[in-house]
Amino acid sequence: MFGHAYLGVGAVVVCLLFYLAIAAQITQASYDISRLQDQQRQLLAEQDQLRYQEVTQHAPAQVQQQAAQSGMQRVVPSSYVQGQQVAVDLTAPVGASAADATPLWQRAVAAVLNQVAGTRDVMASTKK
Amino acid sequence: MLAIALVLAGAVWAKLAYWQVAKRGQLAAAAQQQYREYVPLPAIRGAIFDRNLTQLVVNTAVYSAFVSPDQISAGERDRVAGGLSSVLGVDKASVLATLSSRAKFAYIARRFSKAKADQLRVLKLPGVGLLDETQRSYLPGATAGTTLAADLLGFANWDGNGQAGVEMKYQKSLAGTPGYISSYRDLANNEIVLGSHTHTDPVNGQDLVLSLDANVQYAAEQALADGIKKDNAESGSVLIMDPSTGGIVAWADYPSYNANDFNHTDPALFKDNVVSYLYEPGSVMKVVTLSGAINQGVIAPNTVINDPGVLSVGGYRIYDWDHANHGNIDYTYVLAHSLNVGAMKAMLAEGHDAFYKNLQAFGLTQPSGIDVAGESFVAPPSASQMADSQYATTSFGQGIDVNMVQMLAAVNVVANGGKYAPPHVVDRVGTQINPVLLQPQRQVVSPQTAAQMTAMMEQVVQKGSGSLARVPGFAKDETGKTGSSQIPVNGQYTSDVWTSYVGFLPAQHPRFTMLVVVRKPHYPGSDRDWTLNDGYLTAAPIWKTIAQNIVVSWHITPDPG
Repeated sequence: MFGHAYLGVGAVVVCLLFYLAIAAQITQASYDISRLQDQQRQLLAEQDQLRYQEVTQHAPAQVQQQAAQSGMQRVVPSSYVQGQQVAVDLTAPVGASAADATPLWQRAVAAVLNQVAGTRDVMASTKK
Repeated sequence: MLAIALVLAGAVWAKLAYWQVAKRGQLAAAAQQQYREYVPLPAIRGAIFDRNLTQLVVNTAVYSAFVSPDQISAGERDRVAGGLSSVLGVDKASVLATLSSRAKFAYIARRFSKAKADQLRVLKLPGVGLLDETQRSYLPGATAGTTLAADLLGFANWDGNGQAGVEMKYQKSLAGTPGYISSYRDLANNEIVLGSHTHTDPVNGQDLVLSLDANVQYAAEQALADGIKKDNAESGSVLIMDPSTGGIVAWADYPSYNANDFNHTDPALFKDNVVSYLYEPGSVMKVVTLSGAINQGVIAPNTVINDPGVLSVGGYRIYDWDHANHGNIDYTYVLAHSLNVGAMKAMLAEGHDAFYKNLQAFGLTQPSGIDVAGESFVAPPSASQMADSQYATTSFGQGIDVNMVQMLAAVNVVANGGKYAPPHVVDRVGTQINPVLLQPQRQVVSPQTAAQMTAMMEQVVQKGSGSLARVPGFAKDETGKTGSSQIPVNGQYTSDVWTSYVGFLPAQHPRFTMLVVVRKPHYPGSDRDWTLNDGYLTAAPIWKTIAQNIVVSWHITPDPG
């Protein structure tokens, strides 16, 4: 009878202790979350500050100021020469190719030589 | 005895019932207030970018320092006051006086930088706390003490509400929706995670992408400031537009202000003269008048008229600016030499009704509807209420009030092949394209009319009053028109003038349309000859300087031939 009662009380005490431990753990975690949130807020603020510095560095006013400090000057505005219309008609149809003006005797000699020695192109293409 | 006990017990029970039942709600709410905390989660305000995605506005954190004098012992007051004074630059004696008071809470300094806040944290002063807040930070402008495009962007106040310009017009999109956390807190104000939570995330504001070009904006502000000082003028403005879309490329005012220091700025400077200042456009209006008449087919650029230098209309004798007899001239000459008689004759040839409809079509009888806060507009009288003399003066830009956005959008019709491009500043809200850009543009005059007017405006630069706006290399490939009109005060015209110059470049394939307005110039020597305060001497050189800068910046080349 008392044994059961002690067991019951013991179980309750264990549960209570377990609950307290968990609660303490969670509370500790919540403190950590608050601290980290604060840290995150500060880091975000720092990030914004850095972004503003970066943007300001690229701002036209800053660029001009730095250019002036470096001794740079604005270029003289460009001058342009009026363009002329192109004389070649790029859209004209392609005509017949020009006739081969090589003398007949040269063609005959070349045919013989090619037959005997072959052309370099052929040799190059057949070489392994 | 039993009865007395019963009565007393009944009284106790009745009182208990009163607190437990009747007052339950009130007590529960009071208890909730003690251990439950409602923490707002502010939404991050959207950023603003230019067309090249250069960020124009950045959110930065600023800090406020406060003290709780009741938590600082008498022995530590001197150290605390000394620390606050050295870091924040506040008067040590006044801090000591605050610490000696019985106040529970007092601010020492508001809205200072993170660097100073970090220095204070290191000192670990007892009874001193920091509150962080968000502030909008704007880029530096072209002149000292100004921020870039201050009048266009406006500013957001310390509560995060846009107070002018784009910041005000797009307040809802930029601001977003704040969230909140409702949770339990312990005595040290730490969150208790075991308790029940209600958490709604904030919806951050949307970013805006403008049609603005930060580099052109800067060049415009610089040239305008130099020009206004040279002209001894009261103020001036520049407005540049993308001809095909109506997107604003630059929007400059001089004088301007520092949006980062709005709380120390003269409120008069917050007025944006581009959109809130009405003026009589003068001869720039001849572009509208002659375009309408050409489109109606009642005149052509080479139509010859006789201009004796004066015309009687509605009982008034109205003169050309030079009071000279010009004899037989054509309308190209009329525009190039800005002759009022020619403009009136074109209007009369067209007829009052058609002329009025032309004003409507060019957008001069209604607000431009631009997406910037504070547009001013005065409707002209109805067609039937306008006197003959008012029709006559309106044809050359006097007796009608417009703002710069209306006037530039009207002239831009010519640059845009006869179509009206609705003026706008914001191209994208978040990922959404501005619906204005998706709508078909209204055809105001035919492309042929626009081409004819372009050729006439080229002659203004080559042979007429726009010679001082010639950009090297583009002298035969740019358009222009000068304008000057006297400023009325109490119904009487004074010797002070508004002067302006409008034009686009290159003429055949325009990349930009620009309007420069100078208010009350006193050009050197104008005390002897007031005609020196003219658009060709005051506004045109400013136009030229800015145009040169855009040509270089955007690599614009003239059209061949």
